[in-house]
Amino acid sequence: MAFSLPLISTLAPPSYLSGSAAAGDAELVAHLQQGSEAAFRTLVARYQDRVYTTAFSLLRSAEEAEDVAQEVFVEVYQTVARFRGEASLSTWLYRLATSRALQHRRRLKAKKRFAYFTSLLGFDNQVLHEPPDHAHPLALLEGEQQLRLLLNHIDRLPSQQQVAFTLRHEQELSYEEIAAVLDTTVSAVESLLFRARQTLRRHLQSPSRHV
Amino acid sequence: MSNPAVRPGSEEEWNALMRQLHARSKGQPKPFFYARVHARLTAELTTAGAWLPAWAHRPAYLALLGALMLAVSGDGAALRPPTAATSYDAPAALPH
Repeated sequence: MAFSLPLISTLAPPSYLSGSAAAGDAELVAHLQQGSEAAFRTLVARYQDRVYTTAFSLLRSAEEAEDVAQEVFVEVYQTVARFRGEASLSTWLYRLATSRALQHRRRLKAKKRFAYFTSLLGFDNQVLHEPPDHAHPLALLEGEQQLRLLLNHIDRLPSQQQVAFTLRHEQELSYEEIAAVLDTTVSAVESLLFRARQTLRRHLQSPSRHV
Repeated sequence: MSNPAVRPGSEEEWNALMRQLHARSKGQPKPFFYARVHARLTAELTTAGAWLPAWAHRPAYLALLGALMLAVSGDGAALRPPTAATSYDAPAALPH
């Protein structure tokens, strides 16, 4: 084991494995701060799906989401000593997952833009940029395609609106929890969600004008 | 002709779409996720180098340290005011 912190071996099963979520998390953090690998393993097992799906919602790529989820847990391990418990453990993890995913997306966009320019300049013969989608809205059918259209428009929302919308509708977090993740007020979250829904509904309804 | 039934104009249609979105968002990483996190953590800890403190891996801190070293290590001859070189006081004459 190459972890820098000393490992703690316990004979009895630690109480963070049972009990209420909040109390369990507080104890889990205490064990993590002492360098317990068992606690780290429990943390990963408990939160990996939530961290992964949050990253996936913002990136829409399994590989990128996996990469971000790994980064989040590595960062947690490296910085847990400084965690003072002002926010809950889940809030901290959601915060890390969303900020890391947005960072990742910015890097990907920059890379894509660079690849687009190099392809325009003819440095290689590959077409690296995504060809524009010329599909007329009328061509979009119900079900899966309606959802795809929604996902496309979610991706174009401003970052804060996108994170709020994703946490609300995909992770089913409460307004209070979203406010804690975004470090803002509940009314600000309401406003972000209202604007996001308005934009999305407008875009999804717009094809009817062409009928 | 588009199908107006699928347009999320009404609350019901919008809610149905949101349910669809939520169902789609359920997922999990590939098996043995912990093993991959562990491998990454081990790799990061070994490449980071144990002999340097964590702050020293940040270029900004290193640059600041370099500038500080330059500031305090030089003899500062160029920065010394010219009066320091010219105000040479002749030693008092020795008593006879």
